[in-house]
Amino acid sequence: MRHGRNPFVVGFLVTPIALYTIFVAYPIAELIRISLTDWSGLSPEFTFVGLDNFGKILTDDKVWQAVQHHLLLLIALPLVTIALALLFSFLLNMGGGTRSGLATGVWGSKFYRVVFFLPQVLAVVIVGVIFGRVYGPDQSGILNSLLGRLNVEPVQFMAEWGMLSILGVLIWQAVGFYVVLFSAGMASIPGELYEAAVIDGASRVTVFFRITIPLLWETIRVAWVYLGILAFDAFALVMVMTIEQGGPDGDTSVLPVLIYKQGIRESEYGYAAALGVSLFLLTVTFAALALRAGRRDTLEH
Amino acid sequence: MSVKKDVKLLAGAGHVMLAMWALMVIGPLLFTFIASFKSNTEIFLGNPFALPATWDFGAFGRAWREAHIGTYFLNSVIVVGVSTFGTMLLGSMAAYVLARYQFRFNRAIYYYFVAGLAFPVYVVLTPLYLVVQAAGLLGTHTGLILVYIAYSLPFTIFFLAAFFKTLPNAVAEAALIDGASHTKLFFRVMLPMAKPGLVSITIFNLIGQWNQYVLPVALLQGEGAESKWVLTQGIADISTSAGYEADWAALFAALTIAIIPMVAVYAFFQRQIQSGLTAGAVK
Amino acid sequence: MAVPAAGLLSACVGTAGEQQPKAEGDKTPENPLGVKEDAELEVVIFNGGLGTKYATDAHIPSYKKKFPKATVKYSAAEEISTVLQPRFASNLPPDMVNNAGSKLMDQGKLIEAGQVADLSDLFAAPSLDIAGKTVGQTLLPGTIEQGTFNGKPYLLNYAFSVFGLWYSGKLFKDNGWTAPSTWADFTALLDKMRAKGITPYAYAGANAAYYQYTVILTTAAKIGGADVLKNIDTLADNAWKAPAVKQAAELWGQIGAKYTDKSHLSLKHTEVQLQQNQAKIGFYPSGSWLENEQAKDTPAGFDYQVMPLPGNSGDKLPAAAIYAAPGEIYFVPSKGKNVNGGKEYLRHMLSKDGARKFTELTKSLTVVSGAAEGLDIAPGLTSATKMLKAAGQDIFSFRFDVQYKKLDDECRNATNELMFQGGSADKFCERMQKVADEVKKSK
Repeated sequence: MRHGRNPFVVGFLVTPIALYTIFVAYPIAELIRISLTDWSGLSPEFTFVGLDNFGKILTDDKVWQAVQHHLLLLIALPLVTIALALLFSFLLNMGGGTRSGLATGVWGSKFYRVVFFLPQVLAVVIVGVIFGRVYGPDQSGILNSLLGRLNVEPVQFMAEWGMLSILGVLIWQAVGFYVVLFSAGMASIPGELYEAAVIDGASRVTVFFRITIPLLWETIRVAWVYLGILAFDAFALVMVMTIEQGGPDGDTSVLPVLIYKQGIRESEYGYAAALGVSLFLLTVTFAALALRAGRRDTLEH
Repeated sequence: MSVKKDVKLLAGAGHVMLAMWALMVIGPLLFTFIASFKSNTEIFLGNPFALPATWDFGAFGRAWREAHIGTYFLNSVIVVGVSTFGTMLLGSMAAYVLARYQFRFNRAIYYYFVAGLAFPVYVVLTPLYLVVQAAGLLGTHTGLILVYIAYSLPFTIFFLAAFFKTLPNAVAEAALIDGASHTKLFFRVMLPMAKPGLVSITIFNLIGQWNQYVLPVALLQGEGAESKWVLTQGIADISTSAGYEADWAALFAALTIAIIPMVAVYAFFQRQIQSGLTAGAVK
Repeated sequence: MAVPAAGLLSACVGTAGEQQPKAEGDKTPENPLGVKEDAELEVVIFNGGLGTKYATDAHIPSYKKKFPKATVKYSAAEEISTVLQPRFASNLPPDMVNNAGSKLMDQGKLIEAGQVADLSDLFAAPSLDIAGKTVGQTLLPGTIEQGTFNGKPYLLNYAFSVFGLWYSGKLFKDNGWTAPSTWADFTALLDKMRAKGITPYAYAGANAAYYQYTVILTTAAKIGGADVLKNIDTLADNAWKAPAVKQAAELWGQIGAKYTDKSHLSLKHTEVQLQQNQAKIGFYPSGSWLENEQAKDTPAGFDYQVMPLPGNSGDKLPAAAIYAAPGEIYFVPSKGKNVNGGKEYLRHMLSKDGARKFTELTKSLTVVSGAAEGLDIAPGLTSATKMLKAAGQDIFSFRFDVQYKKLDDECRNATNELMFQGGSADKFCERMQKVADEVKKSK
């Protein structure tokens, strides 16, 4: 039985490791090296400056401003997305009547499932352009046109509510996938569990909190980590949608945009690389913490 | 409270909420479609819910002709098709071995992969460009595909490894006792068992790679590279020129052209995706 | 772990990278720049407001006609920096670059890094089709200076534009308004516009705040003389705190508070320009490219007109003084394979024929003096030409935005704050000076 085990292990690993090393790990190693230099990115010359770039990060107000925005996204994005997705998938799977003792989804749930997923298949570039019009600052904007009918003064979404507007788009795009994911999870929860609960007189709401959520915990945790990683990005949306890419005045700046601006626009590639390394450390720390914190024995059923 | 009443209330409130969200999703998309018939003035100054003054299909022609949306769409399909397949094949192989075989450096290799999970691509663009250039793959689909695969591996391995761990041991052992090779065991037994996990990660990868923009811009360049561009580049191209020559209708037409096939494909495969996911989201 | 590609980057990023052999030919009167006739030439053109037709239909054919054995590799890019930055990092740049657009490379840093070729020999070479003159002699005054850094001409700024406040001739005629030349008349007219339900003054905050800071600094130059801008360009101590800058910021801050629409902060330039085309906006600051940009959306009879910024009686410069400058950068990378070819390409751009075709295709004037004479140009460009004539010697410009990207970024934000977000002149000067000091320190 042990025959061929080692060649098999090596055979299966060699190609992925090679590809990953050449195209991911090696450039990252270079990046770490660059983060210790004053390289401009525009010529092959540079000098090593040790940890100077990292020292500069600590005193850079713009970085801390961006980190605050990430914290907002980190908390709000998974929370709202997962809450909405859980609610919707519960309604889709169990919001309807009872058929042969089992709860069914509301009427039209197939339609909703297709529709909800749509934003997910759109490229961010597309979403950015569309939401430029959704958030239009006058009566020609979709939201402001609706508000205008209620006699509300036009809301300056990108100028005054920039970060929340970005958050809105991220949620809008993400919810659909998690509806599908959670729906799938709910569908595979054995019916007897629900029957038993219903016989005990539990309401749907109780069922949702006592049975559905605990049984879906693993899936929720994965969703949380993935959405958290997303919260450290938001690059493309901010670049496409916001005032002067991260404005007004840094109100919507996020680290990847700072990295872009410092590295490429202002040719301080060494500093940008240090920012990149810091962002990496932040994300990894988050992922590790989230995975650890959410660990809990999965319910057996 | 009786269960029946409870259900009715829930269904009623539920319907309202679901319908509202559906409206929030469809509204902007519908606007996009209608905007492709409008003039710039109608789009930016008019009532967003108004219908266009004239139904002018010209924008679709312009988007198709000048922006080569058809070609770019096909390029995207080829690149993303091949790279997603490659990602899933290589990713599941590595994840499987890492999840189910004990050997030296197992953990080290696992974390080596997973560490790349959160690395922002645009930071490493310059070093990456140099690597691709040295490999002679600049401006080629092959280069882009390899890079897509490499950057999708951390995510794929991270999730699939967790998934393979949950598969029961008994089946695997039985197969090995029956004399199946490790390779055969993987392709014939384990992969089919892992189908739900594979389906969901495939979707993640498909979407992620389909929507990738920075990598193709950096790697598909040089003379004649326009013919190799992928869809997101095509859209950004019109988006930029819309900013200068202000042909917004063509931009929205291009968006519509880009959206419709995606919607159709998803609606078509919806059932498979759903059932693929169902079997294993909760073990 | 074995790293197959090890050393590969070190060769590029690490050490100085070997110089590529340069293609050179003999210098003859026919070939003054010594182009090797069969050497490949690679040009990269920014694909934006000017399009790329002028390169593919005019300049490249002109080069090929002269050197039939050469192949010209041409590519267009929107994200110039994403595409080219790694090539400069590895010393493998193309031979001629049009550095422009919102994602252009930091030109000042490129020059500092020794990546840009000195164009002295180009400007000293005879013109391609203007007999008896060197290339330099055929250009509008100030062109070479605009591209000169540390005493050497590195850049060709090819398109010439004048900057002013644009309005609809029709709107003014219908209301019996005339273009004001003093601040008092200007604000009086803005009041009248507001009474009519028109937003008197607008610019696009989302991506075009630099139009507005050009306005503020133009007023500063009018008040305190062109030296105010020179000092800003050279990072002179407290250049941003000069009384003229502060006064200009105060004047425009008041306009921002009283006569603008706050929704314009989140709009892009074409969106605001559309509003002006629909007679919803009175004045809009822009360069002379505006008319061409809006051609498709301008209603018939709109009649684009432009006027200089209003002046005050105590100003150093007359009311007719304007911001006018060559812009749109073209340069030859010093580490390219065919540097002489790159310069020769610029010589073709600067030929009378090349410049004329450029104006025909882009509706923009070039720095080649008199090349557009006799061309049938649109009303807005006619108005701009008139404004330029009236200004006489009183034209000025700045280029800190090209040289120090960081100052450009900060100035956009500071301007939006001043005009839309309740900022003050003091704060504007304070912020800008702080960043200018940082830039100076890091030099």
